[in-house]
Amino acid sequence: MKRSTRRRLIQGVLYAVFAAVVLFIILSADWATIQPYFFNVDIAADVFPEILTIAAKNTVIYTAIAFVGGLLLGLLLALMKLSPVLPYRWLATGYIELFRGLPALLVIFGFAYAIPIAFQWRPPGGNAGAGLIALIIVSAAYIAETIRAGIEAVPKGQVEAARSLGMNSAWTMLTVVLPQAFRIITPPLTNELVILIKDTSLLFIAGMAIGDRELTTFARDALTNQANATPLVVAALLYLVITLPLTQLVAKLERHNKRGR
Amino acid sequence: MLSKKSAMLAAMAAMAAGALALSACGGGSDDAGSGEAGGLDLVSEGSLTVCSDIPYPPFEYEENGEYTGFDMDLMKEIASGMGLELAVQDVGFDGLQSGAVLGARQCDIGASAVTITEERKANLAFSDPYYDSLQSILVPTDSDIASIDDLAGKQVGVQQGTTGATYAAENAPEAELVQFPSDAEMYAAIQAGNVDALLQDLPVNIGHTEDGAFTIAEELPTDEQYGFIMAKDGSEELVAAVNEQLTALRDSGTYQEIYDSYFAE
Repeated sequence: MKRSTRRRLIQGVLYAVFAAVVLFIILSADWATIQPYFFNVDIAADVFPEILTIAAKNTVIYTAIAFVGGLLLGLLLALMKLSPVLPYRWLATGYIELFRGLPALLVIFGFAYAIPIAFQWRPPGGNAGAGLIALIIVSAAYIAETIRAGIEAVPKGQVEAARSLGMNSAWTMLTVVLPQAFRIITPPLTNELVILIKDTSLLFIAGMAIGDRELTTFARDALTNQANATPLVVAALLYLVITLPLTQLVAKLERHNKRGR
Repeated sequence: MLSKKSAMLAAMAAMAAGALALSACGGGSDDAGSGEAGGLDLVSEGSLTVCSDIPYPPFEYEENGEYTGFDMDLMKEIASGMGLELAVQDVGFDGLQSGAVLGARQCDIGASAVTITEERKANLAFSDPYYDSLQSILVPTDSDIASIDDLAGKQVGVQQGTTGATYAAENAPEAELVQFPSDAEMYAAIQAGNVDALLQDLPVNIGHTEDGAFTIAEELPTDEQYGFIMAKDGSEELVAAVNEQLTALRDSGTYQEIYDSYFAE
């Protein structure tokens, strides 16, 4: 047998196996039973306009706030952790270890309930605001480590070259190191963004006013009103509608960056 | 030679998978049920498997490592009346109300303070009503809220997706409703001052008045009743058997005994 024929044969077999497995899963599912519980078209149509204009919109807004906040705070923490001043380093390390180690749900609970009781102070923006502050704090812990790794990945020669041109260290960091660092960490930052989109679903624990509901809370609410799980499926699809184009966009950006390098 | 053999093996595997897929479409749901007790198609033979969203005192909660409460005590009696063991599974309210836990055959029946509504009847089978529910408003003792009319402009905690939430939306339209996943968060929220009042089922609110910091501002009569839930299709015999037991419990006075042990004042 010729090598190319054999390769084509093996490929054909692999395709056949793939198709058979997919067919097997589709045929073996009990569609008649699952359909009324999860894929009820009338209920999907019923929740659709609102789940898009209220819930999906809120999810996007919450993610944007948490990501921008996390990015700024994370950058500060990363610079603190690289600082030659020891107390700053300790503070940043302690912060990162603490909030990277706690589940986001518990941090949200703490900000929504424990802090108002302890300090008789309510975070701005009500319960959603308290939840968002918690999300910013948690995501900053992850983002700080990512940014630090990015900064450390920029070749030392870049700093030396900039300094020898007479730039001071802050200006070097701002115009030479950070742009390169962010280019390097685009993929892990995208990851963090996608995780944040999903973590907004934890805000429900803080309590949500009607207009503040994000996708998961909205869908669970619709589930109870309709006594059917279809709204959860609609929400799941909407999460994908948000995340898939986003990751495609970042992949495109990344290719563009590579060419520019 | 060896590579030819592996290609053949792969082809055979593909054919086997195809054959499996074909045979699977003949299968379906007829092998799903296992237990048969007096014509009932039970999830687990010899047991009445009950799903409940625990805790929700005084209807269902854990005490000394055992599930107890009004719903659970009734279920114990109903199961023993049917000659069955009681098996309790703690599940989320979402899975219960969507009917998914019943459709997935995780349990035979749901007992979780579920109010009978027309919407739910479309997707679930209900037993006869077993409890008349009252809504109520819980406020801090020093609050100036005395009735539902005072809720306008106030932040009012309700449990997400419950009839209490619907009641509040209809009867206190000026109130700012804040939804919480369960009573645990609602109670924490009123303690934290995040909300001015809670509107939910009376017995649950009464539980929060015990230490004196909170009080019931108003009891709100509704025509709501709780029912046990079962799968919409194929549960006709189970519904009949459960209703028969409920009637027997009311006739024998056992229902009243259980009722008094939780709700007598």
